[in-house]
Amino acid sequence: MDKLFRKKHDLWLSISFASFAIDDEEIKSKLYDFALISFRHMKWISIDVLEKGNEYNYDRDIMLYKRESVFEILKALESEIKEIQNFYGDDELGFRMKNDDNYILEYISQLLKNEQNNKEITAFNMQRKWLDKNLPQDQIDALTLFLFDESYKEYELILIYAYMQARTTDIKQYNVYQDLIDESQFHLKSFANMMAKLGILALPRELHELTYIVTDLDKFIRDGIDEEIAAKEMCKELSEAIKDEELSKFFDFINFQENYHIELMRKLL
Amino acid sequence: MFENTKMPEGMSSETLEHLISPKNYGKLDEPSCVGVAVDEKTGEYVIFYTLLDDDIVKDVSYATNGCQDTVVIGSMFTDMIKGNNLEYANRAIQKMLEKLGGLTPQQQICADIVFSAFIASMKNFENIQNGQKEEMHVLKMKDSCESAGMQDNNEENKNG
Repeated sequence: MDKLFRKKHDLWLSISFASFAIDDEEIKSKLYDFALISFRHMKWISIDVLEKGNEYNYDRDIMLYKRESVFEILKALESEIKEIQNFYGDDELGFRMKNDDNYILEYISQLLKNEQNNKEITAFNMQRKWLDKNLPQDQIDALTLFLFDESYKEYELILIYAYMQARTTDIKQYNVYQDLIDESQFHLKSFANMMAKLGILALPRELHELTYIVTDLDKFIRDGIDEEIAAKEMCKELSEAIKDEELSKFFDFINFQENYHIELMRKLL
Repeated sequence: MFENTKMPEGMSSETLEHLISPKNYGKLDEPSCVGVAVDEKTGEYVIFYTLLDDDIVKDVSYATNGCQDTVVIGSMFTDMIKGNNLEYANRAIQKMLEKLGGLTPQQQICADIVFSAFIASMKNFENIQNGQKEEMHVLKMKDSCESAGMQDNNEENKNG
């Protein structure tokens, strides 16, 4: 199995979750851009691996440590990015990834020079408080379960669609997979940022190959549509149950997005 | 790990710990046996890896594409049986049900799929001992999470 792919998968998650954990909007946004670049690297590596007749899987080595300051997160990220350089090849893809990484490393080194950036991290404090609002405990519990369920689901979908996208020769299917990946990336970001605000940021669990090696695409899509309909219902229930205007609007928004998401999935049938 | 964390009322710190970091999650490199329980209606599955040393469950792990209830029950159950003997593991199913207490029908299905995956791994071990070449043993669930969900909703409607 391809070692570089595994390392890049870990790095994509590391940069994404560094972005989710950090409160500062400017750093969060910049790191998230870098995470998306890393995801594209991952996609290009997967195509390269398949073209060479090899295989890759979604096994990981990453651990999400409960770091307490922005600098702790940035320093860990810095050493992970430096380490992956040893795995890049001397080809155009390798040069591109090195160049992107150098830019990220430069950005991190600039951040580390300014002590004012070194704020406390509250994403792992387990306090489960929604901003300064006093939501009842049953609503917090419902929100917690929803976020764990859905953040895993979005991560799962990103990887399954990426796996299928790398293997299709049909341009229409390829484009639909890309749309579905983009949608799930946005949802994962939204849910993970909410988890961080609640102090319960956690990595989605690892995918087993029984999940992403799809042998019956038709059944997979039909099951997926049923799951999306169930997720819509959960959003609707949460929106009604949680007495917070901002959260209710957000869940209504996600609920409405799922309508076209389901249409996109139907295009694959 | 979280013993000193003061939790708000409601969801227990133990449950939250299993949610954040499920124990024994993933694959084993060289298991003695592998079992899968699958809900064909929803496509949900639990795969269970067991490493035996005589009748001791030396190591164990599981993976699932199911909901968080399945994840938490899998985490608790594997934690309970790891390092114990098979007799204890078989009794642990009942102990877990007692510990979990009043489950909704949907949660009961989640518990059943975890236990069935363990039972499937034991069946795989038995088959291998009898000379069969079986990569993993698969059990199909009789009850589906989907229909239990409907049952839950009906009960809520009745109660409502």
